[in-house]
Amino acid sequence: MTTPLYEVRNVSKHYGSVVALDDVSLQLAPGEVLGLVGDNGAGKSTLVKVLSGAHQPTHGQVFLEGEERRWNSPHDALEAGVETLYQDSGLAPHLSVSANVFLGREEYVKGIFGKLGFLAQKKMDLDAHANLERVGIAVPQSNRSISQLSGGQRQAVAIGRAVSWASKVIILDEPTNHLGARQAGEVLSIIRRAKAQGLGVIFISHTLPHVLEVTDRIVVLRLGKIVADAPTSSFDAEKLLGTITGLIDSK
Amino acid sequence: MNLTKGRIKSLLGNQQVLLLIVLLVMITGFSIKSPDFFARPVFANILADWYPLILIAIGETFVIISGGIDLSVGATVGVSGVVSAIAMEHLTTSHYGANETLLIGFLIAVGVGVIVGVLNTLMITKAGVVPFIATLVTLGAGEGLSVVFTGGSPIGGGPANAINLSVANIFQLFSRPGILIILLVVILGLYLHKTRFGRYTFAIGSNPFAARAAGINVNRHLAKVYILSAVLSSLAGYYFYLRLSVGAPTTGNGAELQAIAAVVIGGVALSGGQGNFLGTVLGAAIISVVASGLLFINVPANWKQVVVAALIFVAVFLQELRTRVRK
Repeated sequence: MTTPLYEVRNVSKHYGSVVALDDVSLQLAPGEVLGLVGDNGAGKSTLVKVLSGAHQPTHGQVFLEGEERRWNSPHDALEAGVETLYQDSGLAPHLSVSANVFLGREEYVKGIFGKLGFLAQKKMDLDAHANLERVGIAVPQSNRSISQLSGGQRQAVAIGRAVSWASKVIILDEPTNHLGARQAGEVLSIIRRAKAQGLGVIFISHTLPHVLEVTDRIVVLRLGKIVADAPTSSFDAEKLLGTITGLIDSK
Repeated sequence: MNLTKGRIKSLLGNQQVLLLIVLLVMITGFSIKSPDFFARPVFANILADWYPLILIAIGETFVIISGGIDLSVGATVGVSGVVSAIAMEHLTTSHYGANETLLIGFLIAVGVGVIVGVLNTLMITKAGVVPFIATLVTLGAGEGLSVVFTGGSPIGGGPANAINLSVANIFQLFSRPGILIILLVVILGLYLHKTRFGRYTFAIGSNPFAARAAGINVNRHLAKVYILSAVLSSLAGYYFYLRLSVGAPTTGNGAELQAIAAVVIGGVALSGGQGNFLGTVLGAAIISVVASGLLFINVPANWKQVVVAALIFVAVFLQELRTRVRK
């Protein structure tokens, strides 16, 4: 097998005496959409935090393109090309669309004022619009504040932001939550477009039809362990649900 | 027609324009009631009240936009003023030159500000104490230490020429430190609205989780914000020394409330993420004008607090109305 794009090997995470992740290993190939599912408390959020660099695993290793990495902060992972969209916490509502798209990656005006930290606001407004359009999102003016957008538009900006910056891996935690059918469909087509660009996508969701529709492979977590890791074609809704709840034992 | 109507509506919906109107109405009202009010020395005096207030209120603006609060600004004014005054008294009795003494006094005042800012930062980011409590601790400690250091009485005995510096000798309206303060306020306003530092301040106040996820070192940024606030307070403390030629332990008592009032009247949301430095500039100006104006219309000075309280209520009520209309 070729080198995976992103990989965790034998990862465990303990919070005091609580074992949130127990010897988890998974691999992600370029251009692959991996579904990560599991009931509440199965360890999905913990795994997302390890993958995004927010938490360090107690045991185990993380590899990006075959090279072992230790993320000390989400910033390290971002710099290496691993973007994460967290559930419901992605955007600063009082800031404009472009301020959010460029948050943490601001561009400066040329010359001495740029060195003093003055922002190239016009350029970022234009580029934010272009970046969002490139990943397939039509958003109203870049200078509108996020709080003036609808829930669907906000989520589109959050996903567009993550996809437009990701150079290798994108982790989407419940990106279709609280969205209507049409908006969720748009999110899924953004994921397909990211896949076509060769990004590895990790898609975490409770909405199993979305998972079955968009992923290539599904990993099921239960009580901190991986209980299934198989191509999406080998699941149907009933079998997937049974594996999540433990009524079907796939191992 | 509709276009101009819409423009007028959006202007009136703009807090800064409203505040400017309020300010002008107040000045006009006081001037009609008491013609003596509309005179250069009066405005020079209003400005002299405004300089220290705007210094601490701008610091408070950064802090509140970042989602926190700094109650220790008034105590920092006091403690930096008295420590600097004590040092300058010693230097003067040991025959240091006036200019060196004033410079060293300035550096010591700023140093005290840095110490208070660092203490606030450590409590908030390392010990996890909420800003309200952390800065309440430094408020109490600062006010207490000011009394301890001075025995409760004002400290004079510094350079004799200090007070000359605060004379309004530029167009008989501005003092030299005042001009520097105005410059500083403009620079800080640009920093709040045009630079990455300001952008991060808004982002953290708006959603700290999003800021952290975007790779911003939230704690390091908050450290800068709280140190900035404390240093600006210490500059106000030093300014008071120049104006009064003494460092008094009670200087700055209650200034935190005036600063927060200026910020709130200026339209900065206490919940963080929103605000405009021009609002704070005008909010502080309104408070300073009220303070002087009431004296001219023979209202006892103590009424000032009541008027400021009413202004706070009106400002917050208007904001509430606007958000309700928007929804």
